[in-house]
Amino acid sequence: MIKTFLFAAFPYIAIVLAVLGGLYRYFSHRFTYSSISSQLLENRWLFWGSVPWHYGIILILLAHLGTGLFPFFAASVLGNPVTLVVFELIGMALALFTIFGLIVLIVRRLPLDSLARSVTSKMDWILLLFLLTQVTTGFAVALFGRWGSLWYLRTAAPWFWSLFEFQPEISSVASLPGWVQFHMIFGWAVILLFPFTRLVHIFTVPITYLWRPYQVVIWNRAPSRRQLLAATQTQTAGSDPPGDDPPQEDDRRHFLSLFGIVFGAFGVLLVAVPSAWFLIGGLRKPPRVWRSVGNVDSFKIGTTVKVAFLDPSPLPWAGVTARTAAWLRRESADRFIAFSVDCTHLGCPVRWLPEADLFMCPCHGGVYYGSGKVASGPPPRPLVTYPVRIRNGAVEILTSPLPITS
Amino acid sequence: MKLLKRIWLWFDDLTGTSELFGPALFHPVPRARRSRWFYVFGSATLTAFLIQIITGTALASAYVTSSGEAYSSLQFITANSIGGVIRGIHYFGASAMVLLIGIHTIRVYLMAAYKYPRIMSWLSGSILLALTLLTAFTGQLLRWDQIGFWTAVVAAEQAGRIPFIGDWLGHFVLAGDTVGGATLSRFFAAHVFFLPACIFLLLGLHLYLVIRNGISEPPQSGRRVNPKTYRHWYHALLAREGRPFWPYAAWHDVVAGVLVIVGVVVLAITVGPPALGKPPDPTIIEASPRPDWYFMWYFALLSVIPKWTERWVIFLGPLIFWGILFILPFAAPRGERSPLRRPWAIMAVIFAVVMIGHFWTLGLVAPWSPRLATPPLPAEVVGTTSGPVAIGAGVFYEKGCQFCHMVSGYGGLRGPDLTYAGDRMTAAQMKTRIFSGAANMPSYTGNLTPDELNDLLAFLESRRHRRPLI
Repeated sequence: MIKTFLFAAFPYIAIVLAVLGGLYRYFSHRFTYSSISSQLLENRWLFWGSVPWHYGIILILLAHLGTGLFPFFAASVLGNPVTLVVFELIGMALALFTIFGLIVLIVRRLPLDSLARSVTSKMDWILLLFLLTQVTTGFAVALFGRWGSLWYLRTAAPWFWSLFEFQPEISSVASLPGWVQFHMIFGWAVILLFPFTRLVHIFTVPITYLWRPYQVVIWNRAPSRRQLLAATQTQTAGSDPPGDDPPQEDDRRHFLSLFGIVFGAFGVLLVAVPSAWFLIGGLRKPPRVWRSVGNVDSFKIGTTVKVAFLDPSPLPWAGVTARTAAWLRRESADRFIAFSVDCTHLGCPVRWLPEADLFMCPCHGGVYYGSGKVASGPPPRPLVTYPVRIRNGAVEILTSPLPITS
Repeated sequence: MKLLKRIWLWFDDLTGTSELFGPALFHPVPRARRSRWFYVFGSATLTAFLIQIITGTALASAYVTSSGEAYSSLQFITANSIGGVIRGIHYFGASAMVLLIGIHTIRVYLMAAYKYPRIMSWLSGSILLALTLLTAFTGQLLRWDQIGFWTAVVAAEQAGRIPFIGDWLGHFVLAGDTVGGATLSRFFAAHVFFLPACIFLLLGLHLYLVIRNGISEPPQSGRRVNPKTYRHWYHALLAREGRPFWPYAAWHDVVAGVLVIVGVVVLAITVGPPALGKPPDPTIIEASPRPDWYFMWYFALLSVIPKWTERWVIFLGPLIFWGILFILPFAAPRGERSPLRRPWAIMAVIFAVVMIGHFWTLGLVAPWSPRLATPPLPAEVVGTTSGPVAIGAGVFYEKGCQFCHMVSGYGGLRGPDLTYAGDRMTAAQMKTRIFSGAANMPSYTGNLTPDELNDLLAFLESRRHRRPLI
């Protein structure tokens, strides 16, 4: 049950909250919708952290996404052992690269007197910790669970697709080792962090940097580190004018309302998602089975008679409704046709008139010939037929969904 | 007495009951004089809804929500004398609710009470109309006999005509691939919990809006609604001649509500509940699914429209109707309210009523349905008991001709009446028609032996005003 929740409900909850929270933040705090760069405060460490991190993580994420979206294409490419080894090696190298970058990014914010530390919020620490967890577990999966890029296609990819199609199917991932599952679920947790952290800059990434002309930033008069530190500290903690709406209070109000909305939505979704899922889950297709409707000899050649058979795995309380009727026509010694009794117009049960060799619908007067073809009236299509076969001297009909004309 | 009053004051002080409901009960309403009686249909609809809640709860306490057992539980309820009456009240209450909400909608439309500032009242009312019809439809289905069963199939087929999601939606409605154990529970949950809950919510809004914006004053020719000045003018009107709703206006509503209740109960006792048909066994093919009276006109409409328009009517028809209802208050938020100055409104209502009435009577007759229960022609109609004419009359019946063609009052209405076919057509013309068929007639090529054909033609030729002398 917990797995069902984690793999089938939690991804939706994470996505919905990320989108809702992201929209709320975009419209209420648009200036915070960025990476909130600290480059102007600390640049040397940042270079060695940010560059490896971003190059690594972007490529790795693209590989996750591309192979997840096109598993058959990926399987055809990675089927070759050399390509596979090269692909995996590049992946592991990029993972190491990413971990290195991330550690640098963490270390540069650690020193108590550093400028970067002074602009680091609690949420930043949580985010860094989450990302570190995710990339380390990812590296561990790649290292100890070889060859991940192959089994990924048979486990995670079908799961992703089932999520896309709103038919969550967790069987392909349910039996994976716990630490692999952890990596999968934790990824959604990172997505959940989107609206609360500077991760939102993924959507505002200034991609034009790649082709716009250089901008050179020059310090007019390089301030000392202490001066800068003092300046940021007075900005963040110092000024508290005696007005009735101090800026901190404003921020706090905004944060609390964001928190209230997003956390409340979380609670609502926690109930709504399983309920809606249960409602739609009733659509699980039961297996189709062959049902015997009588001995071959009991049907005369050239006649059409009504037969009845049981639905596949009927519910115990379905009673008579678990049955389905069909018109069975014996064409020749070994040829049978089974017609659905449902008129293709609006589904009313058609009646067989043996003398007239016609099916007639009592609702709107649709008429079909004995062959199932439309003779007259409103039906748009011939009568639907069920697959029939003969096994051990018995006629068998394959149970089928109610034919719906669309 | 004094003690009771003290208890009430104590209770009211702690709960604020009169503060909460006082404004609703005593809010001032404009004087309406005799047209006040036009205003009772909304509260009468509410009365019918409350009847449904009470009797529905009673019925649910005995109804078994199981595709296999619902039918016998309904038999049990009906066999109990009070249970039968409760079922009758629930049925006629539903009928009353559909009828009254229709009249209420027409009244509000004719008096243009949807104009500013009562736009939201109109929109919530439009949704309430849709919810009422959906509840009526699902309720008909819960009478889980043969017709209830096939209603579920027809519902799924209609949902199937919606583009793209039709197939999925159709099977969603059935809660599976076929009608089975899960189907009835789904409709039960919709009819008993989901739809009434939505009705309660919107009803709360609908009534609250009456308090907030005031009930519309009776329209007067030449008095135009101007959103800029309306509220001010309305408040001045209330200050001048407004009187508290209770009891000056409310007694009309009480009278109308009690009349509805009495009418429904009397019908339930005298006419009784709608009869249960055959059990919901899909293998009993002898079924003629028909909707209850309030959807009879829609059933007829779907039968007579051209074939190619069908999927558009099923899918777009309701969409366009409710689209018009929704656009109306935005398209005409101001101006004349009196129906006397809005002839097109009167025309639209007459058109709708005549159309529904026409299709409704047509649906009762259902001339497009073959009469599969028609008996063979009696000897006095055939005119003889032996010879080709008599044998031909037998062929006429056995080959299904009589299901669609009427002869001397026997048979169906789908095809032309053949009582005097011999006067109109020669044997050769009849033969051509029998072999070629038509849009609504199957071809009988290969289905008749030469003897059968000759006898049939002999029978048809004998259908004349004046019988030939032979």
